[in-house]
Amino acid sequence: MIGTLTRKSLRARWGRSLFISLSIALGVAFVSGSFVLADSLRATFDSLFTRLNADIDLQVRGVAVFDSRNSDRDPVPASWVATLADVDGVDRVGPQLTRVATLLDATGRPIGTGGGPAIGALWSGEGAGGIVLRAGVAPKGVGEVAIDKATSDRAGIALGEQLAISTPTGVRTFLVVGIVGLGEADGFAGASLALFDPTTAEEVLDSQGAYDSIDLTLAAGADRDEVKSAVEALLTNRLEVITSDQVAREAADQVGAFVTAFGTGLLIFAFITAFVVAFIINNIFAITIGQRLRELALLRAIGANGTQVRRMIATEALVMSVTATVIGLLGGLLVARGLIWLFDAAGAGFPPTDLVMAWRTVLAATVVGVGITMVSVIVPARRAARIPPVAAMHPELGFGALNANRRLVGGAVLTGLGAVVFLVGLFVRPGGTIGLISMAGVGALAVFVGVAGLSSGVVRPASWVLGWPFARALGVAGRLARENAARQPRRTARTAAALMIGVALVSAAAVFTESLRTTFLRVLDRSVTADFVITDSGFQGLPPDLARNIATLAELDAVSPVRGIAAQVDGSVKQFGAVDPIPFGRLANIDVQFGSLNDLDAGSVMVHRDPARDLGLTIGDRLDVQYQNGVKGTLKVVGIFGDAALVGNWLISVDTVEAVTTQPQRDFFVIARVADGVDATAARFALQQRLDAYPQAELRSNAEFRQQQEDQINQFLTLITALLATAIQIAVIGIAVTLALSVFERTREIGLLRAVGMTRRQMRRSVRWESVIVSLFGAVVGVVVGTSMGAALASAVPDTIIDGVTLPFGQVPVVIVFAVIAGMTAAWYPARKAARMDILNAIATS
Amino acid sequence: MTLPPPSSFGAPQETTSTSSAWAAEARSAVKVYGKGESEVRALDDVSVGFDSGRFSAIMGPSGSGKSTLMHCLAGLDTLTSGAVFLAGQALADLNDRQLTELRRTQVGFIFQAYNLIPTLTAFENITLPLSLGGTKGDRAWIDLVIDTVGLRNRLTHRPSELSGGQQQRVAVARALASRPAIIFADEPTGNLDSRSGSEVLTFMRRAVDDFGQTIVMVTHDPVAASHADRVVFLGDGRVVDEMTSPRADDVLDRMKRFGD
Repeated sequence: MIGTLTRKSLRARWGRSLFISLSIALGVAFVSGSFVLADSLRATFDSLFTRLNADIDLQVRGVAVFDSRNSDRDPVPASWVATLADVDGVDRVGPQLTRVATLLDATGRPIGTGGGPAIGALWSGEGAGGIVLRAGVAPKGVGEVAIDKATSDRAGIALGEQLAISTPTGVRTFLVVGIVGLGEADGFAGASLALFDPTTAEEVLDSQGAYDSIDLTLAAGADRDEVKSAVEALLTNRLEVITSDQVAREAADQVGAFVTAFGTGLLIFAFITAFVVAFIINNIFAITIGQRLRELALLRAIGANGTQVRRMIATEALVMSVTATVIGLLGGLLVARGLIWLFDAAGAGFPPTDLVMAWRTVLAATVVGVGITMVSVIVPARRAARIPPVAAMHPELGFGALNANRRLVGGAVLTGLGAVVFLVGLFVRPGGTIGLISMAGVGALAVFVGVAGLSSGVVRPASWVLGWPFARALGVAGRLARENAARQPRRTARTAAALMIGVALVSAAAVFTESLRTTFLRVLDRSVTADFVITDSGFQGLPPDLARNIATLAELDAVSPVRGIAAQVDGSVKQFGAVDPIPFGRLANIDVQFGSLNDLDAGSVMVHRDPARDLGLTIGDRLDVQYQNGVKGTLKVVGIFGDAALVGNWLISVDTVEAVTTQPQRDFFVIARVADGVDATAARFALQQRLDAYPQAELRSNAEFRQQQEDQINQFLTLITALLATAIQIAVIGIAVTLALSVFERTREIGLLRAVGMTRRQMRRSVRWESVIVSLFGAVVGVVVGTSMGAALASAVPDTIIDGVTLPFGQVPVVIVFAVIAGMTAAWYPARKAARMDILNAIATS
Repeated sequence: MTLPPPSSFGAPQETTSTSSAWAAEARSAVKVYGKGESEVRALDDVSVGFDSGRFSAIMGPSGSGKSTLMHCLAGLDTLTSGAVFLAGQALADLNDRQLTELRRTQVGFIFQAYNLIPTLTAFENITLPLSLGGTKGDRAWIDLVIDTVGLRNRLTHRPSELSGGQQQRVAVARALASRPAIIFADEPTGNLDSRSGSEVLTFMRRAVDDFGQTIVMVTHDPVAASHADRVVFLGDGRVVDEMTSPRADDVLDRMKRFGD
């Protein structure tokens, strides 16, 4: 019987059921889409790397004694090619050489890649490294190049064209003779690829008599382990030999780490969306149970017990959520497909990807879809079970069962606990990054739920204040809007809470980025005295030759590169900054407290005061270090400094770096200063002329550099806001549904108002401004909560990145305008419905 | 008692005119609900007018069309055919906005129950039609009305803080506040105990006698009808009788005959 009732009830309220189901489905789709995308990409890259390395068996390369962001393995001297070819069982030897090689358009400007690096490499034969010719022939001899199909398509470069390429040995022009793909893919994750024959590559890419690595292919019948042992016996302790499986695994792990981070990022926003959905579902169930009071009481009066009523409500929720989960899982496939398409359209050049629906995804989708719905419905269903039978005749007696008055205390406790967990997660970080993300996440969610309960206590005064301008300007329609917004504080608070969450997260991001920006600008003002900053357009670093070249300009009196290298100090890996010390001292102020930059030579180091204190280092002490390629060294401490914002905690000379590594170097950026008495415009002109030989170099004045960095920070905020857009849209729809239900409840009142002379326009306005007040309330609470969270977040970040909290007051009008628009959008349908209501039917409703 | 011909029930003299001398008038009013088998003629060629400055009652058994007639006269519902004039205006000529305006300025309403806006105070409810029109109204008049219905010390209360009788007195005051051309009351005492009901009827009577208001009341309570100057009886969508200066017993007798 309860089953029949459930079915009839779902059908009778199909509009509401549909909306709830769609909201759940949307949340599920976002969550499962994130999983599907990450799983699919990981599977694709795993198989891609395995196939790419299918025709090699072993690889010889320099050792790395620890993992680091940048690999500083020593290259393999060219003489090894002949030695390895002589090893029994080795059939083919493939030297690998990869450098930065930027393709240029007809005007000499760099052709943008699809977001990846611009790579120049050695062509070691059809099929080697998975590279296959799609059109044309293999490059042969000086002046020929093959490029990847993705870049060829994107930039419109055809076979037979002349193509200028900026290489480590300068800009040269080549004839495009081949178009290649990587396995089935046209390109490789947004990189551009230029391939040269081995002799040309060695010259053009400046091999300096060494290769990145040497691939070995075995003769038929040779035993891999035996050959591996034979090679190992030959190698010095600075080189190692590994199997192709390991090569593939390492490459896949590298991409996998990126895919996982990317997928986790998406997942966080997916969970936020699901959380907002839960709020709205809870609200809708609570409201509709109020509206069904009589019906439910009648069931009780004719003999249903409380458990049956509760079960009926729960079954309704279960049916909706299971349906929605199935729809959401299918939607997740679409979301993943859509995202891949989006990245491909942006030029990412993903290989053809088959979507992977893992059991874990199905499980997560079910937990999210069914879980959030059932949790959302617990409280409303329990309340419904408490409705007394007598309410069938006297509805006013039933309302007591639907209200609970512990929300303020509960809200306060939850907010407090949530805040504590959030802060402990941020500042104490038990369990590292996982602990940080999960504790801060759980804490924030608890705060949101708590605030949603707590804020109902201030709905009345807040509506009074927020509605004041409407009441003043719109007379009775505005006054009714204000009164109606304040009428059911719990409902208003819960409705606004969905929007509050979105606004809070955007606010937190805004506070964080504003603090980041302010710190960055302060560092720039305080510690950078350089006039020019030269960076690389492709984020691949600049050739060291550039700094040496412009240092000879008479218009400049100081030029220094800024580079980095990883080294192990006291058992842990540290990033060392490397500069040209004497000019650097004139370009930047790093607050040297003891010693002098002038003493920083090839065998010494300067240390920031914090690690110096932790390790008990003073001037004259010796510091043992080991670099990634295994080289050990001892550095003399020649200075202690106080500002780590520009170079990090450890500062050495570029001479030190060049002494320990044989790898080709790249500078992060180069800074320069105009000589005294030289006009800045003239200096810039002279500098730009020299830089014409380096098309990928971008010259910026101090002010332009500042602007560029600010733009990047703004882009970050825009990205966060875009990822929260789904959650915010659902919140707006949630307001619309709640309002529509409220309008339905007030049918009789609306009829009366229309009867005594309220025009349709006044009716629409009244509903619209009620909605705006609710939105404003959500936005204001969101800003308060979000700003606090953002401030805590900014404080938790190390001082070298953010040294103080700055509030973005300029954004306040934006939030207000947004809330007004959101409210008006949400009110569109309910206001129409209220205005068009038939007066007589409305009055006849009891 | 034999039924007089319909023309003698205060029906209009000049049937071709587009104006009306009555406060409210229905001419050959027909209202049909539904179609075919389920068709219901709620009003079947009703022609009736109501005088200015008088208290009239419309009576009839359930389904006689009395509420439909009132709704059509008040501009809340439209006729299938025929015409309605309110304060000299033909309602068919008006669009929704003009009708709303007419209701706000020329018509007062008193409904059976749920008569007030729960979020507004008693005073705000009384002045609601005025506020909706963006005017303050005649303050001295409103004060007089408030004192007449005895609500002076209840003005800041919300409807939920008032008794049923007090709520209905607020509704009477609201209907009077804008000095409308006509007030329609739909079973105004239906939900009240007899003492409160008689209080409300007394105030309505005073509104007519002391302030010259026009009231048309739909009721099926003979006692309520006895407060009126004239009673019009409806049966099966037609005007079947009328009575002036009615006494409750006579009205009751007339009502009993509907069952025959």
